Amino acid sequence: MPRLLSGALRLRRDPRILKLPPYLSVLCILVGVVWLFLLPLDEYSRRTYISENALLPGQVHTYFGGSDQNVFRAYKHEVNALVDKSNIEVNDKLESIVKGLGLKVGRQNFTYHSAGNVYSGENAYAILKAPRGDATEAIVLVAAWKNVKGELNRNGVALLLTLARYFKRWSLWSKDIVFLVTPDSIAGPQAWVDAYHDAHDSARVDSLPLKSGALQGAIAIDYTQESRFESVHVVYDGVNGQLPNLDLINSVVNIAGGQMGMGVAIQEMWRHNNQYPDRLRTMLRGMLKQGLGLASGPHSSFIPYHVDAVTIQPFGEGWQDEMAMGRVVEGTFRSLNNLLEHLHQSFFFYLLMQRERFVSIGTYLPSAMLVAANFTIMAIALWVKSGHQPSEEVSKAVESKTAEENPRNPAVERDLFLPLGFVTGCQFLSVVPLYLFNHAPETILTPLFTVFAVLNMALPHVLSHFLTRYYTPTAQQYQLIRSFSLLLLGMFLSSLATLNFSLALLVGLLTSPLTFMQPWPQSPVMRTACAVLLNAVAPTAVLVASAAYWQLEIGAILREAAFAWDVYDMYSPVVVWCVWWPAWLAGSVTVLGKPAGRRSRLKAKAT
Amino acid sequence: MRQFFSFLLFSLLSICVHPRAASASSDYHEQLVLRPLPLSALLASFNFRSNTTLSAFEAHNFRFFPRSLGQILQHAGTRELHLRFSLGRWDAESWGARPWDGAREGGTGVELWAWLDAETDEEADHKWLTLTNALSGLFCASLNFIDSTRTTRPVMSFQPEGDHPNSTETNTHLLYGVLPHEVVCTENLTPFLKLLPCKGKAGIATLLDGHKLFDASWQSMAIDIRPVCPADGECVLEIEQTIDMVLDIERSKRPRGNPIPRPPPGHELKCDTSKPYHADDTCFPADYSANQEWSLSQIFGRTIKGTCPLTDPNTPPVCLQVPESRSVFISNGSLEKKNADGASRCYEIEPEAEFEMILPAPSDAAQTENKAQAELQDLVKPETPLLYAERSFTGHGQERGGVQTILRNPSPDREVEFIYMESLPWFMRIYLHTIEARIEGQSGKQRDSLIQEVYYRPAVDRARGTQLEVRMRVPPASTVFLTYDFEKSILRYTEYPPDANRGFDVAAAVITILNSTDSVSSSSGRSVAYALRTTSLLCSLPTPDFSMPYNVIIFTSTAIALAFGGMFNILVRRFVAADEGPEVSLGGLKGRLMDKLGKLLALFKSKGGGIKKTE
Amino acid sequence: MDDGKVTLGRTAGLYIGAAVLRLSLFTLFPGLPDLLTGRVEISTPVTSFKRLQEGLFLYNHNVSPYDGGVYHQAPLFLPLFSLLPSFATLPIFTFILYIAVDLLSANALFKIANSGEAGSSALFTSPRRDKRWSGPVVAAVFLFNPFTIATCIGRPTSVFTTCAILHAIAKAVAGAPFTAMVALSFAAYLSMYPLLLLPPLLLLAYDRQRLPKGITAKPSGLTFAASHLLVVVGVLSALFGMSYLMTGSWEFLPSTYGIQLTLSDLTPNVGLWWYFFIEMFDSFRSFFLAVFWLHLSAYVGGLTVRIRRQPLAVITLLLGIFTIFKPYPSISDSSLFLALVPLYRHVFPLMRYTFLVAAIILYTVFLGPAFYHLWIYAGSGNANFFYAITLVWGLGLSLLVCDLTFAVLRDEWEVERPEMVGKEIRQI
Repeated sequence: MPRLLSGALRLRRDPRILKLPPYLSVLCILVGVVWLFLLPLDEYSRRTYISENALLPGQVHTYFGGSDQNVFRAYKHEVNALVDKSNIEVNDKLESIVKGLGLKVGRQNFTYHSAGNVYSGENAYAILKAPRGDATEAIVLVAAWKNVKGELNRNGVALLLTLARYFKRWSLWSKDIVFLVTPDSIAGPQAWVDAYHDAHDSARVDSLPLKSGALQGAIAIDYTQESRFESVHVVYDGVNGQLPNLDLINSVVNIAGGQMGMGVAIQEMWRHNNQYPDRLRTMLRGMLKQGLGLASGPHSSFIPYHVDAVTIQPFGEGWQDEMAMGRVVEGTFRSLNNLLEHLHQSFFFYLLMQRERFVSIGTYLPSAMLVAANFTIMAIALWVKSGHQPSEEVSKAVESKTAEENPRNPAVERDLFLPLGFVTGCQFLSVVPLYLFNHAPETILTPLFTVFAVLNMALPHVLSHFLTRYYTPTAQQYQLIRSFSLLLLGMFLSSLATLNFSLALLVGLLTSPLTFMQPWPQSPVMRTACAVLLNAVAPTAVLVASAAYWQLEIGAILREAAFAWDVYDMYSPVVVWCVWWPAWLAGSVTVLGKPAGRRSRLKAKAT
Repeated sequence: MRQFFSFLLFSLLSICVHPRAASASSDYHEQLVLRPLPLSALLASFNFRSNTTLSAFEAHNFRFFPRSLGQILQHAGTRELHLRFSLGRWDAESWGARPWDGAREGGTGVELWAWLDAETDEEADHKWLTLTNALSGLFCASLNFIDSTRTTRPVMSFQPEGDHPNSTETNTHLLYGVLPHEVVCTENLTPFLKLLPCKGKAGIATLLDGHKLFDASWQSMAIDIRPVCPADGECVLEIEQTIDMVLDIERSKRPRGNPIPRPPPGHELKCDTSKPYHADDTCFPADYSANQEWSLSQIFGRTIKGTCPLTDPNTPPVCLQVPESRSVFISNGSLEKKNADGASRCYEIEPEAEFEMILPAPSDAAQTENKAQAELQDLVKPETPLLYAERSFTGHGQERGGVQTILRNPSPDREVEFIYMESLPWFMRIYLHTIEARIEGQSGKQRDSLIQEVYYRPAVDRARGTQLEVRMRVPPASTVFLTYDFEKSILRYTEYPPDANRGFDVAAAVITILNSTDSVSSSSGRSVAYALRTTSLLCSLPTPDFSMPYNVIIFTSTAIALAFGGMFNILVRRFVAADEGPEVSLGGLKGRLMDKLGKLLALFKSKGGGIKKTE
Repeated sequence: MDDGKVTLGRTAGLYIGAAVLRLSLFTLFPGLPDLLTGRVEISTPVTSFKRLQEGLFLYNHNVSPYDGGVYHQAPLFLPLFSLLPSFATLPIFTFILYIAVDLLSANALFKIANSGEAGSSALFTSPRRDKRWSGPVVAAVFLFNPFTIATCIGRPTSVFTTCAILHAIAKAVAGAPFTAMVALSFAAYLSMYPLLLLPPLLLLAYDRQRLPKGITAKPSGLTFAASHLLVVVGVLSALFGMSYLMTGSWEFLPSTYGIQLTLSDLTPNVGLWWYFFIEMFDSFRSFFLAVFWLHLSAYVGGLTVRIRRQPLAVITLLLGIFTIFKPYPSISDSSLFLALVPLYRHVFPLMRYTFLVAAIILYTVFLGPAFYHLWIYAGSGNANFFYAITLVWGLGLSLLVCDLTFAVLRDEWEVERPEMVGKEIRQI
């Protein structure tokens, strides 16, 4: 191996190599972006297919319907009667109905505190024991009383009750079926799943009185629409951008689209002509959702526990009625019921660009990795360069042969302590905003943010002034600072790319200017230009911009983030404050930096 | 329920305690006890008992005792044998205490324990091996998979039911094996029936039909063989075959023709007309199937074909347990004997006639508002069991986990003392130091006060499973959480089953409740009051990639080769300056390429020149 | 070194600082110790603290801990830890014990560094020797290495081995061969593989032995080796005897050392063995086990002969190699290796891939846990993810070892050819 490397080593000595990296980085970023935009093409994306043969989606005849419609209407009346009752009363009524069907009923209280608000409620759930089974496996059917938009999920709950009564009649279930009704769409399911896996903090969430076996899958019904619908919308984004097994989505698509003959939409693309623009839009929406890592429905909380789940929403004006929706659920449950093994076959990392087209991780990962790699390349380049510092003027005079030998001379000792200290300092400093924004009460969030944004603009100037004043860092030290912070950034992003591809890519693109930032001691123009550019891509600025774009107010966004952080451990804030922000800080300080001495040479280098 | 048992005990005593009286008349008894349960369930427990004198048994002289089984027992030197095939779970909250006090049931799958004659453990193991293999052949069950890792030797949980002469106590070994993953089905029922003297052709056994039996919500087939030595008279070897099943009346009333529960036509739907919104297209279902009418032929798909001619006429073949108040229609010719306790009645059947029984729905059940109440009036109130137990896994992920057993003692005044036994597979590495028992509501662990005695035999990888027996007590009217941690080990890729990602079944925990009457501190010699099993669990282990062996071997070897090669090069080669020796650098490379190219061009030129020359 | 008092003060401050840091970590984050104990990167089947507790529990309840698949550690830990107050009630004593062990190791390292053995051994003196880190710096690098801290918090029993090895080296350097041999045999008793360090350690002790007054000629190498080999054998057999008396049977031998030879417990770790032997065909298992062990021990001879003049360098490199190729490696082994590397500060300029190695190690440190999470908890990745990272980790460390070897050898070579200093060289 050293022999291989020593070849590269000799190349490394070649001064021409040192000119290369910036262009290489640009190339990486460009290729990464272009790659992303190639994905929707037929050549790069694939048709979906069912790889778990046991599922057999749409192979069974579904019998839900007929007189069940009458029952559904009755339950609908019952639900309507509960509309503005308290959570407890609702659960009392539901419990009495479900007990009447001969199912075991359990209830669970939960209370979450976040940003000064209290989110509490009571989950009610019933377990239909598999007639001949043992309590080893279970499937979950969820209907939140209110969906994510806060609309009342009347049909959903009524449908859940009807289905419970219908499923009870069948003797073919090999897995228990859990019917879960939660007061809201995020906190309730989260509390229930946590408690089911005993991962809950018993101070905030009660333990479950009843339990069944290992959860194999979950389907959530979000059915607020009163009129007949045309197609169903499958929501699949999980917490922190985790996705359910592709086979589950495929089987829902297969049953709804293939068997029931209704349309299927994803990512709120209500109309989708399987062409490039629509595909691209779908994919980008998916990536944005994934990158934000927010919970998008009752199903989201299940996915971190390796329980594959989706939410099914009817939409559009058509002739499909509640029974059709019920049959979709029935068919999906029959498929899940066939499962012999936990879903593991198909993909967990994918980007859907139409209900039947996707790209798998192997195809899309390179784009994020390239963007992350450009930082690493630059970091290594800077490291090498900082080793060459004093040999510059020599190499101007003497021809390259001696220049090759110069780096060996012991004069080039990199003093690492100031750069290391500075970079680690930035990293530790990043804990402050993280803590602030996750623990401040909602009322002061907006003012807090404004103050922080202003300070954030001033901070680099203060720091760089401080640095130049007390430490007078040399150009080499600035290079090392950049090198280290870029190295860290690249490292974080490439690890993040495996956990949450989209987030890594987003942050990578937003931080890409940092690659090219360097001190401009001579040209104030460049310097201010760079500073402005950096301030434009600062985390705070980006937050404001996106808030303006989607017409949200900052306070709401921050409250949502804090809620996500407290309830379902969304780690996007960590990425923003502890990965993006420190790198940005280091970058802007270097831009404002005034390296001591060797000005002329630096100018020569800059050109 | 208590009366039920007193009654059974009576009939049982009448055979066991006075064997001469019994054996004088006959050595074979069979009885079916039907018992409607809440939530429209019906418990049917079949019991067949026959015995032969030990002397006859030794002399290979089998009369009612099945020869096939007898020979196996003799060959394997088995003193006492208990075999269980079970399916589904008993819903103790609504159905109450288990039949036979749980003495005739096993955990899901197949369970086998036997007392074997052997001088040494090795000999015992050997005989056990032969026994399991023979039985697996006889019952078409994969009992032969009960290997050393699935076999344990319980010390506290099981006591011999039969009477063994003290001389043999010393060298009888108790071995216990369980197969939680075994799916019990008809192929196990057929050989089971074959063991009966009437082979299921006559008597109550005619009701046993695979489709119905295995559509039951809970069912357990048991075979118990034990020597019984009355005070006077010679010892007899008694075989008792039991089948208990809980049938969902509604489900089993469905015609065999279309078992699909299609929604009934709207007009057949029973609605709750009291609802304000009730209309002919809106119907709040009222067909809550409590106490609906049923008959033997509806439930079992056939009637009883007379009686088995060999059976003891003194034992009534069919008993039904409903309050006196309920009226029962039976086919004429058979007579009804109401029992003194007023909670059960038995029927004498004519030897040749078919027997049919119809239990009509109670008249007042339909109207009354609170149906659950009405139902309980029309049924024999289920006896609350001594203990409720529920076991589940805690934690998630495939690295480690915990087992949590919730033990609830319903009785307000008497404390329950029992033995909790787990036999776990070796790849669940349990940490005994984390075992903890706490009473709900009370903080801190009262390990020492609740857990009295622990017998623990740790697992050895690939050789032996974990055996954990805990003698503990639950105070009156309180709930105890028993928890311990374990670690999931990762196996060699050849050791995984084909459906590796399904997970591995973990056998049910056996809970044996001891009689609290005698306050002997040691568990030995305490009679068993009640036994129950928890449900089995599904433990998912981390799995390697099964398609990778070659790649992994190649990659790892490459990594090692790189490291070794690097070291080797550095160690054996000598240093020279870069300019000494042949030149390999970018420039050098370029130079070489250039002159190669030059040569090539020259070659072409010369060729061209050559051609020119020829012209 | 230069000024005793100042160094002393600094060292004391350093030790106190390290102790306080660890103690605060233990006390301020009560969840942290158990969390780290559960990490596969820190606890292996043969060192895990949780398994130790289990073994202790069984031992105190008169169940033989070796009659089971959980406890695979040396028997003498059992009485040692049962002397301490039980961990459940008074954990602080355990914490203090582990902190003390870390400080002892640091102290040994301090002595080694101050002896200057790395720069100028008996047979070789590096021209760069004056550019080296003094004891406090090296000790600080060890004490504040995140790996060391994580190891201390995670409480695997490998820290005792680390301590024993460092003390063996320190004693050998200080010229007390007998004590060195005793320490080494303790290390070997605890976790077997240090036995492979015997040859270089013998050489080191032989080179550095202090001759009694009057005698000028060193005893012949053979007699020296033989006598000290006897010491090792004697101590080891004594330890085994004690273990036998304690457990009452020899079954601790297969359970403690057999498992390292047969790798019957395949729990994932940062090494190369586990996945290889999960995927290995049963018929070849024993063959490859033999090959792996052969490969592991093959380095001893080669290095000892080639770098005869710097036994300490041999020991350092060997420790690096063990870190990569042990059956059950953990980051505590890497922390031991990385603790000895700073002794060679003077050859750092000769190393060529420092930045690359640092980058690789950092990457793996972040990617490893991420991929393990994807495999075990999220279920969205499979075992290959984590395996790939262990592979990269191994490669990175082996690159470091190779590079260090190169630097040391080149340092020797430049003594022969001083004109080559700073020149570009090659190997042929």
